[in-house]
Amino acid sequence: MTAALTVYVLMWPVVVAATLFVISRGFFREWAEARRNGHDLV
Amino acid sequence: MDGMETAQFSAVIVVGLLVFFYGGTFLISARIGKKEENADGYMTAGNNIGFGVSAASMTATWIWAASMYASATSGYTYGISGPIHYGLWGALMILFIYPFGKRIRAVAPRAHTLAEVMYARHGRSSQLMLAGSNVVGSLISLMSNFIAGGVLISLLSPFTFIQGVLCVASGVLLYTLWSGFRASVMTDFVQVVAMLGAVAVIVPFIFFAAGFPAAFETGAANLTPQQGNFFSSEAFMGQGAPYIAAVLAYAIGNQTIAQRLFAVRESLIKPTFITATIGYGGMVIGVGMLGVLALYLGFEPSGGDMNNLIPEMAATYLPSALLALFFIMIVGALSSTADSDLAALSSIMMADVYGRGVAGKGRANPKTMLLVGRLTMVVATALAVAFASLQLSILDLLVFVGALWGALVFPVLASFYWEKVTSKAFTTSVLAALAVFLPVRFGWIPVDGVFGYVVDVLAVIGIGVVLGLMVFGFSNLMAAKITGVLAMVVAAPFAIGSLHEYATLCGSLVAYSVSTVICWAMSARRGESFDFSVIAERAGDFDDGDAAAAAPGGTGEALDVPSPRSAGGDVPDGREPEPAAPAK
Repeated sequence: MTAALTVYVLMWPVVVAATLFVISRGFFREWAEARRNGHDLV
Repeated sequence: MDGMETAQFSAVIVVGLLVFFYGGTFLISARIGKKEENADGYMTAGNNIGFGVSAASMTATWIWAASMYASATSGYTYGISGPIHYGLWGALMILFIYPFGKRIRAVAPRAHTLAEVMYARHGRSSQLMLAGSNVVGSLISLMSNFIAGGVLISLLSPFTFIQGVLCVASGVLLYTLWSGFRASVMTDFVQVVAMLGAVAVIVPFIFFAAGFPAAFETGAANLTPQQGNFFSSEAFMGQGAPYIAAVLAYAIGNQTIAQRLFAVRESLIKPTFITATIGYGGMVIGVGMLGVLALYLGFEPSGGDMNNLIPEMAATYLPSALLALFFIMIVGALSSTADSDLAALSSIMMADVYGRGVAGKGRANPKTMLLVGRLTMVVATALAVAFASLQLSILDLLVFVGALWGALVFPVLASFYWEKVTSKAFTTSVLAALAVFLPVRFGWIPVDGVFGYVVDVLAVIGIGVVLGLMVFGFSNLMAAKITGVLAMVVAAPFAIGSLHEYATLCGSLVAYSVSTVICWAMSARRGESFDFSVIAERAGDFDDGDAAAAAPGGTGEALDVPSPRSAGGDVPDGREPEPAAPAK
């Protein structure tokens, strides 16, 4: 039970970290592409 | 734990953190600022934002300070399933709206607000209902975030609540005023990095610092059987069910979501909304787990005020450096939502009030529009600060606006798929739903007699409507009808006779059912139909400047949507034959 609760609590920071990675990767790719093409990012 | 001493920052450190945060966001805003902003860019950034920026922006906007506090409160009150019953349904609000969002975007690719599209579809009354509820909702949200900022600063520093509110309000206005929505989405990325990064570090740190996992065993006695049960019926009925009912309502009624729906590149709507769903869910449920940990520890927030729970947990278990990160996380959460609210309010005043109302399509001056948008931000900030100082009950206000949005869900969604829905059906159904909602929600009529059974029957129909609409978004009309009927048949034996005891849940459900039944009844027999393709022309760009021309579908490129056979004049009449636009 303790192990299950530990996983249950600590899985959310892992989900958050993975989402942060996906968003950051998308952002920096678009930023680099915008710079290459001389466009504004927004 | 009662009466503990929480850590505090000195005035110099708090000022330093605020200058670091708002100074940084202002610099980002200044970097993207243009001397001559484009009016459409100010509202929707050219309808062409990429995945990274839009996913960050959706996530940051949907996470507000109250969602973190409320999730932790839910964990503390309902136990281990509490954060799920807050965060999961909140996350699904984003997920369930994207299929409808794709349809809305296909019908109105260059619109700025949902109210503007309703004007193109039905005319003035539906536009006013949607815009009015959006304005009230955004003002409440703005006020709530300023209150959260004031509370946080007063709790962790020598500054007073009002000084905290003024710091946050002026900081947000500073970086949003000039570039509007463009500044909002650009700064959202930095804010989301701060928020998500902080949760990824802070939650595990507090977990181990507070003596977990051993505390799961030593503190188990602090939980009631319901709190220790993952399938707690108390948690579902008290927290989860009202939220499920609100899933579509909050997404439809919130202009901050609609604005991002119109801003993101059309092909990226799905990945953006799915990523934001996961990001929001992980973040809010993760913070909510602090409430569960507090429950196991027997931690009591000072004064019994649940708003103190998270800040006091952080102040108790985090070292100064991580407490500063926590401070930035909360300031980031409230600022990203507040700047989105300012951008939403300004776009409603620009597009709906000035653009479609005062000036009229084709006659709106882009420079005047920008002035209207910026003045709106200043006035809205002043109003929100004034309301924040009164410390009104945010939850009561949100419940009322949420019901108004619930009444709008079916008429709004049906208006995008069903050519028979008329302005009269829209307006009548929403007003009737509100008229039934008010006595149910606030107990104006006793529900222990016949009226109670009427409420239960309407609520059961509401369950069918909510689930049917959710299925319709991802499937088709037949599957939605089957789901709706099945849901009613399954729920009826349990609900009739008892559901009226849950006033919040019933209030939302009757708002759905009454508006749906009346809107359907007034529309079904009509022989006339509406040509959806005229909406694209009626709800288009105001400014033919560079930002609009550069974007796909802008004035410089052909639209990839059905071309209207008739513009239909300035006032929608709904008399065109059925459309080339894709229909469900």
